[in-house]
Amino acid sequence: MISNLLKRLLSSGQRQAFFIGAGAFFTGVLLLAMVSIVMLIAARGGGYFWPKEVQRVEYISPQGQARVVFGQIESEYQQEDTRVYWLYYSDAASPFAHQSLIEESWMQSARPAKNAARIALKDGRVMLAEPVSVMLPDDAPVSILRLDAVRDKVATIEQRIAELRENVLSDIHLQLTELDSRQVSDAAPARARLNQAFDKWHAQVLALESQRDSYRMQVRLADGYETTLPLNTLYSIDYTSRLSFAEKLTVAVKRVGRFLSESPKQANTAGGVFPALFGTVLMVFLMTIIVAPFGVMAAVYLNEYAADTTLTSVIRICVSNMAGVPSIVYGVFGLGFFIYGVGGSLDALFFRDTLPAPTMGTPGVFWAALTMAILTLPVVIVATEEGLRNVPQDLKAGSYALGATKAETVWHTILPMASPGIMTGVILAIARAAGEVAPLMLVGAVKFAPNLPIDGEFPYLHLERQFMHLGVLIYDGAFHSQTDAKSASMMFAACLLLLVVVFILNILAVLLRSRLRRRYEKR
Amino acid sequence: MLTLFDHEYLDLDNLSDDLTAIRVENLSLQFGTKHVLENISMRVPKNRVTAFIGQSGCGKSTLISAFNRMNDLNPHCRYQGQIFIGQRDITHKKQNVSELRTQVGMVFQRPNPFPMSIYDNVCYGLKLQGIKVRRQLDDAVESALKDAALWKEVKDRLFDSAAILSGGQQQRLVIARALALKPDILLLDEPTSALDPLTTLYIEELIAELKSRCTIIIVTHNMQQAARVSDYTAFLHQGRLIEYSDSDTLFTTPQQKQTEDYITGRYG
Ligand SMILES: Nc1ncnc2c1ncn2[C@@H]1O[C@H](COP(=O)(O)OP(=O)(O)O)[C@@H](O)[C@H]1O
Ligand SMILES: [Mg+2]
Repeated sequence: MISNLLKRLLSSGQRQAFFIGAGAFFTGVLLLAMVSIVMLIAARGGGYFWPKEVQRVEYISPQGQARVVFGQIESEYQQEDTRVYWLYYSDAASPFAHQSLIEESWMQSARPAKNAARIALKDGRVMLAEPVSVMLPDDAPVSILRLDAVRDKVATIEQRIAELRENVLSDIHLQLTELDSRQVSDAAPARARLNQAFDKWHAQVLALESQRDSYRMQVRLADGYETTLPLNTLYSIDYTSRLSFAEKLTVAVKRVGRFLSESPKQANTAGGVFPALFGTVLMVFLMTIIVAPFGVMAAVYLNEYAADTTLTSVIRICVSNMAGVPSIVYGVFGLGFFIYGVGGSLDALFFRDTLPAPTMGTPGVFWAALTMAILTLPVVIVATEEGLRNVPQDLKAGSYALGATKAETVWHTILPMASPGIMTGVILAIARAAGEVAPLMLVGAVKFAPNLPIDGEFPYLHLERQFMHLGVLIYDGAFHSQTDAKSASMMFAACLLLLVVVFILNILAVLLRSRLRRRYEKR
Repeated sequence: MLTLFDHEYLDLDNLSDDLTAIRVENLSLQFGTKHVLENISMRVPKNRVTAFIGQSGCGKSTLISAFNRMNDLNPHCRYQGQIFIGQRDITHKKQNVSELRTQVGMVFQRPNPFPMSIYDNVCYGLKLQGIKVRRQLDDAVESALKDAALWKEVKDRLFDSAAILSGGQQQRLVIARALALKPDILLLDEPTSALDPLTTLYIEELIAELKSRCTIIIVTHNMQQAARVSDYTAFLHQGRLIEYSDSDTLFTTPQQKQTEDYITGRYG
């Protein structure tokens, strides 16, 4: 009906223009939507690193109490006809920074507080306060200007404690365990001597620790409340209101560095994302190592070896359809088949003595990589087959005519010529695997993993360990984000990082592919 | 025995075994249900150039592909009869086709260098034979390229991609690639039909030189070319061998009506 109407109203040329115009319009809208999503993520994610000024904010709470706090405005938005701020602030009731929503109408004043700083602790907590003085062990306050010198002193004490713990105490402990293993009696003089030494050194360590803890920084909140923070718990002190643009940029870059290199703190709402970044890249890497050879072998078999029968057509159709199966189904498959099936059987065969506690039959990075490899296998097979079909027949004939067997022809001529197609498949597989979350949560990705899958402990690569993943981190953060502007920002930063990771992996693969193309497709 | 003067022709029907490169006995060949070759028997003389002529689709390519069993690549191909090279029946099931193809080289219509360097192209077959010693490969590459009259043009850019060579150079590279394996027989399937006349002349000269090294079989559409380069010519028509004799006779006084029609251009 509509097409009839169009036919009557418009000439054929006009109709064409209409459809082209409509196509262009919708493509434009889609592009715009994509660009704005990326811009939003870039802005919010980037904003996470930008140091926000510590302000002295005065406001009247809905209960009518006048409050004055040091705070940072984390984000702001319009709610109906009032402006609402997420304020991240410290006050006497809870000195460590927390957040709440403040309406503009409550606000009395907000101006940069030059003397207040953002004081971050090593455990991820933050206090927005004015450093007042430094307290020495004898409770004598000295000027805050001597902070750095005193912190150096604390650092030396800290180092001494670490030395004693790592060398002396653990050595004595080792000797004691050895006595235990030789079943030396409790009353033996050697044991008594060691115990005595342990007590002596341990007492010294405790003394040093209490000395260390008595070096403190006195801070004052906006409402006059004062408290002290042990110097050794301090991580960074930024007077963000004093910073020039360039200095802010330096801080931001430093924060990006920490974000990339440090572990999460405070249940993934602060700190860095290194384990998740590492886990994501490792999983994708393992997946690629698994999927590339299997996908290529399958495609070579289908295209070069298998006879053209109904069976191969059916297999081809199945492979293409597998690409459309929802990813969670692969997750369930991985859990049921790899973890409970294969892993469980391995446990029953080789790790019988530790049962019922599973060794292999538990989610881990290897099972996750294997599951993702199954998930991306169809993509690799289809793209590789496409590449194989494009290998010119006369080159194959040339290879056979020189006495090459089928396998030699595949290896020396067909696969190199098809390598751009193979790379296309791998690129698609990487892009898909890096972005998946749902199946991973079933087969090994967790919100928090105590150890990386690679460390200095034999056998260095622990493929059975659970791992953290950027996508899971984002998923987790999204749940906090409704009540927590801070973790929402971190979530955006993690999104941005995930985009960057996928982008880099893709760029690398595309570069490799264009190299291969130049080499093998220009004839 | 091989020092006969060029104008003295061998008796093809009663060629002795030591002068025979290939002996075909009652060869018939089908692709699926289509009969392509019908009961062909012939002897191809050693160290001579033998041309196969005939209309497009008459089975020339199929026949010479039977000599190195390239037809095996087509799963629908069936054949009866025997082909002897030396004392061996190469149609035998137990014949090692890879080994056969190193002894019977083949060059196709369209130059098909591999997307590798010139050097690697020439080495391809040698490396498959397990030759890895660099010096040995270097020597083989040099002598093969010299045999194919390409050495002078490429000796300074052996490691450049073969794709940058001209069509004629590529075809000579492909010939060098086959010669590197020191084949007894070289099959050329319309080797110049994709090349310009001057390059064609160059390849024809090359063929004349190669005659001393190996037996050459050339398929061609161009009757002048057959007359110029070949000592013997076989005319095929619809899968049958119609006439086979020395080229002088065949082109000047053909015995069969069909041959005469073809060479005088009444068809094809
Ligand atoms: N792969 C194939 N499958 C079926 N028929 C083929 C195939 N290749 C060639 N033929 C047929 O075999 C006949 C001979 O082909 P060919 O030997 O290539 O001819 P020529 O080289 O003399 O032009 C032709 O009729 C062609 O249609
Ligand atoms: Mg042909």
